Amino acid sequence: MSVGQNWIPQSVDVSVPSAARLYDYLLGGAHNFAVDREMGDKVELAWPHVRSGARVNRAFLGRAVRFMIGQGVRQFLDIGSGIPTVANVHEVAQAADPECRVVYVDRDPVAVAHSELLLADNDRAGVVQADMRDPDSILNSDEARRLLDFDEPIGLLMLLMVHWVPTEADPWGLLKQYREVLASGSYFAITHFTSDREHEDSSNAAARINRAGGDQVVPRTWEEIAAMFGDFELVEPGLVGFAEWRTSGPGDMSDDPATNKIAYGGVGRKP
Amino acid sequence: MPTPNRRTDVPSSPDDHVRARQTLARKWAYRLIKAVAIPMGSEDLDVELGARLAALCSLLHEEPFHLAPIERAGAELVTLGHLGRPGLSCTTEVLGRGLLTLPEFQPAERYAERIAVAMGALGCGFTGANTEFVLAQQESMQRSLLKAVRDANWNLKESEARFNEVVTSSTNGVLIVDLDGRLLKANAAIGDILGHAPEDLVGIPLVELTAPGYGEMLRAAMADLVSGVAERIRQSQRMLRKDGEVARLTLTASLLRGADDVPSYFVVVVEDGTELALLQGELKRQSLHDVLTGLPNRQFFTTQLEIALRKSDPEHGVTIFHLDIDAFGMLYDTFGARIAERLLQHVAQRLKVLLVGEQAMIARFGGDEFGVLVENAQSTPDIGSIMKSINDDLLEPTYVDGHGLAVSVSAGVVHRPSRDTEPIDVLRAAERALRKAKSGRRGQWEVFHAGQDAEGRRDDALAVAMPAAWENGEITVRYRPVVQLADGAINGVEAVLHWDREREALDHDRCAGLAEATGLILPLGEWLLRIAGGQARWWRQRAQFDRPLSVRLTAHQAADADLVSRVVGVLDHTGLAAGQLMVSMPCDVLPMADAADNLAVLARMEVRTALDDFGLGPRDLAWLSELPVTSVLVPKDLVRRQDPCSAVLIQAVHALGVHVCVDGVENAEQATWWTEVGADLAIGAHFGSPLDAGEFLKKL
Repeated sequence: MSVGQNWIPQSVDVSVPSAARLYDYLLGGAHNFAVDREMGDKVELAWPHVRSGARVNRAFLGRAVRFMIGQGVRQFLDIGSGIPTVANVHEVAQAADPECRVVYVDRDPVAVAHSELLLADNDRAGVVQADMRDPDSILNSDEARRLLDFDEPIGLLMLLMVHWVPTEADPWGLLKQYREVLASGSYFAITHFTSDREHEDSSNAAARINRAGGDQVVPRTWEEIAAMFGDFELVEPGLVGFAEWRTSGPGDMSDDPATNKIAYGGVGRKP
Repeated sequence: MPTPNRRTDVPSSPDDHVRARQTLARKWAYRLIKAVAIPMGSEDLDVELGARLAALCSLLHEEPFHLAPIERAGAELVTLGHLGRPGLSCTTEVLGRGLLTLPEFQPAERYAERIAVAMGALGCGFTGANTEFVLAQQESMQRSLLKAVRDANWNLKESEARFNEVVTSSTNGVLIVDLDGRLLKANAAIGDILGHAPEDLVGIPLVELTAPGYGEMLRAAMADLVSGVAERIRQSQRMLRKDGEVARLTLTASLLRGADDVPSYFVVVVEDGTELALLQGELKRQSLHDVLTGLPNRQFFTTQLEIALRKSDPEHGVTIFHLDIDAFGMLYDTFGARIAERLLQHVAQRLKVLLVGEQAMIARFGGDEFGVLVENAQSTPDIGSIMKSINDDLLEPTYVDGHGLAVSVSAGVVHRPSRDTEPIDVLRAAERALRKAKSGRRGQWEVFHAGQDAEGRRDDALAVAMPAAWENGEITVRYRPVVQLADGAINGVEAVLHWDREREALDHDRCAGLAEATGLILPLGEWLLRIAGGQARWWRQRAQFDRPLSVRLTAHQAADADLVSRVVGVLDHTGLAAGQLMVSMPCDVLPMADAADNLAVLARMEVRTALDDFGLGPRDLAWLSELPVTSVLVPKDLVRRQDPCSAVLIQAVHALGVHVCVDGVENAEQATWWTEVGADLAIGAHFGSPLDAGEFLKKL
C-alpha cells in the first residue's frame, strides 16, 4: 500500500465536475455524469472548438507515445491519465509492442476505479490513485514498483495536466522530482494550456471551468512551460502548439487555427 | 428495380469504380478524424473505411435489397470510436452525397431512393448501437462509482479499525472531546491513569478533570486550536485522579477537521507524567552512576568537580585523588570476574567509610580506578595521612568466597588546583601523576606538580616517537670505558643507547626511561645486548679489545620472565662467553620475585651480575649477601654528593667481596675523592663519553 494514499479516504463526490470526466465527455465518451456534461456544454459555449481541442490532445498523445516507442521506450508513466478509454496510452503502446508496461495515475477516485475495472485483465498496465503533487506516493506505489524499472528509460506523460497545478504548489519543483528519478534516455511529454496568445475562447473557457469551483486551470507562458523540462533536451520541433508537434494527418489538427495553439506540446529527452 | 451494374449505357470500368470509392472513403475518413477521436492513424482509417464503404456499396447493389444488413453496418460504425452525433452526421453527409456521385450508382436518380433509405437505415442502426454503447459506458461508470465508494468506505472502515486498534492498545490515555469540551470517548489507559472507568467519563467536561488552577491553561489551548493559531498543543498538566490525588501528566491536543475543514472534535493524548518522571529519573541516575558499585561515574564526577572547583574554599581548596588498585589484573586473572567485582564493591564501600568525615565524593572511573574529590576543610588530614589510612585499611584482608584478599592502591593526586582550572585538565593531571606513582612500587602516591605536566607531556611525545626513530636508525649503540680508579686502566666497556634527534641527543638514561614507560625497552634492550655482544665478540676475535662488556637493565627488563632466555639467545647468537658479559639491575626492582630469580639464574650461568642505583635503600646492602653479585654501581647523585658515609658503605661492600663502581664521574676532583674512599671502578664523562664502536676503539 502506498504511503498516504489510503489512510485517509478520498471523498467520492459526483456533484462537482472532474477534469477526467470532463475530458472524456469532450472526447465524445459517455464515462461521465450530468454535472460533467453540463460543464462541458458550458465550456463549449465559451469556446466552440473545445471538442477539437480535446481531440488534438488525444492525437498528440498517440504521436508522443509512438515516437517514444520508436526511441526504444517500453514503459510509460501517465500522470493525470483520466479515464483511459479511446486511444489511451496502453492501447497505443501495446498495439506497437505487447510487452509495453503502463502505469496510469489519477487522483479522481471514479476515474481510478474505472481504470481498475478496465485494466483488470491487463497485467502490464496498472493504475495508482494519487495526487501529482505527491511524487513519493506515486513513485513508490506498488504498481510503479511492480511495473516500472527505473534503471531503464521511461516515457513520462503529463498531458493537459500541469495546468491544474497551482503555481503555489511549485509545479517546477514537483516536476524536477519526477525528472530526477528517471534514467538517462527517458522521455517526458507535456501539453499545457498557454496564456501566451490573446485567445478569447480559451481564457473564457478557463474562466468558465474555474468558476465552476472544481479543479482550477492555470494557463502559463511558453517560458514557464519550457522550464518544466529542466535539463531534458527538447526533441524537434521543440515546444510548439500541440497540434503542430510532428503532425502526421488531418486528425492531428483542428480546423480552428487558434485551437491548434491553445496548448503547447513538447517532448524532452533526459541526457 | 433495375440492375445498375449491368447497365451498358454508363461508360465506366471496374477500375474507375474502385478509384472513386477510394476517393470517397478518404474523404469520409478525413471528415471523421477531424470530427471525433478515433484511435487510428488516418492511413489506417482510410483503409478501414474503404473496406466498410465497399461492403456498403455491395449491399446497395444487392437484389433483393434488404435494409437489415445496412442497419448492422450502421451499428458497426460504433466500434470505430466515440463517433456520437458528430460522427454520424458527418458520415451521413459524406455518404449521402458522395454515394450518389459514384460512377457505379449512375444515373443518380435511379439510386437516389435506395441510397436515401439506406442512409436512414445506417442512422437507425448506428443510433441503436450508440445508445447501447453509451449505456454500457454509463453502467461501467456507475460500477466504477460504486467501486470507488466501496473502496473509500473500505479504506474508511480500515482506517477507523486501525485508529481504534491504536487507541485501544495505547498505554497513553486517548480522549475524544467534542467542541464544547465534553468527553465523547475514552480508552482503557485513561482509566488506569485517572482511576475512572472510561465509560464514566463520557459527557464530563475535560476541564473539570484538571487540578484546580490548571483548567484555564487547557481551555486557552483548545481555543487556540479552534481558531487555528496552533495545530497541535502539548502542555504539562495536572489532573485529578478518582482518589483525589493529583496526577502529573503531559497532554497533547489536536483538532480534527471534517469535510470542508470544519472542526469536528479534539483528540487529546494523555501521557502519564508521574511514571514517566520516575522512569526518567532512574534512567538519568543509571547514566550517571556505576551499576556495580552504585558510585557516581566519571561523567557525574566531572560535572561535580567543576562545581566544586568553582565554589572551592580559597584557603583550603579541593584535592582530587585518582586511585588505582595495584595488581588488580593479576587478582582478576587468578580469582575471576565475580570475585574481582566483589572486591571492587568492597573497595567502594571502604572508601566511603574512610572518607565519611570529609566533604568528599567518591566515584568509580571504570575498571579498577576510582576518583575521590575532597573539599578540604581546616580539619582535613594531609594527603599522606589519607593515603595511609586507605592503604592500611585495604591491606587488612577481606574475605570473599573464602579468599582473604588484601590490596593496596596507588594514587595520582592534584592538590588545590586553581578555581578556574578545567575539570578535564585536573583529571588528566591526576591520571598523569598516577602513572608516575605506578611506575614506582606499589601503594605509592604522587602529587602532581605543574612543571611536571609539561615535561611529562613532552616525554609522552618522545616515547611515542621512539619506535619509529629506532626503526629509522636514529637510535644507536655507543660505548664508554669502565676505568680502574687506582691506575686508570680500562677495565671494561659499557654499551649504552644513544638517540640523535634533530636538535638534541638523548643519553642512555633518557632513552631507557622513555622506552621503559612504553614497554619498548624489552625489544630495544635485547637489541642493545645483541649489537653490543656482537661488537665485543668482534673486537675480541680481532684481538683489538678483550675487556668485559657491561649492559644496564631497567626494572622492566630485570623482572621480565623471558630475561634469561633473551640473554642466552644473545650469547648463542654472538658467540660471546657468559663471563664476558656483565648485566646490572636496579636495586629497587629486586623485591619483585622474578628480578631476583633472573639475577640468580644469570649468575649461575656465569654471567657477571651487578646492582645499579646502589646505596639508596636500607636493604641494598642486605641484597649483596643474598645474591651472587660481582659489583655495585653507585648512582650519579651520590657520586656528586661525596658523602663521607659512602666510605663506610664501600668498606662494607668490599667486605662481602663485591667491587664498587661509581657512575657519572664528571671531573678529576670527583675521581680523586672516590679513589681515596676506596671505589674500584668508575664510569663518566671524565673518563670518556659514549662513542660509536670505531671512535671508541681509536680512543683506547
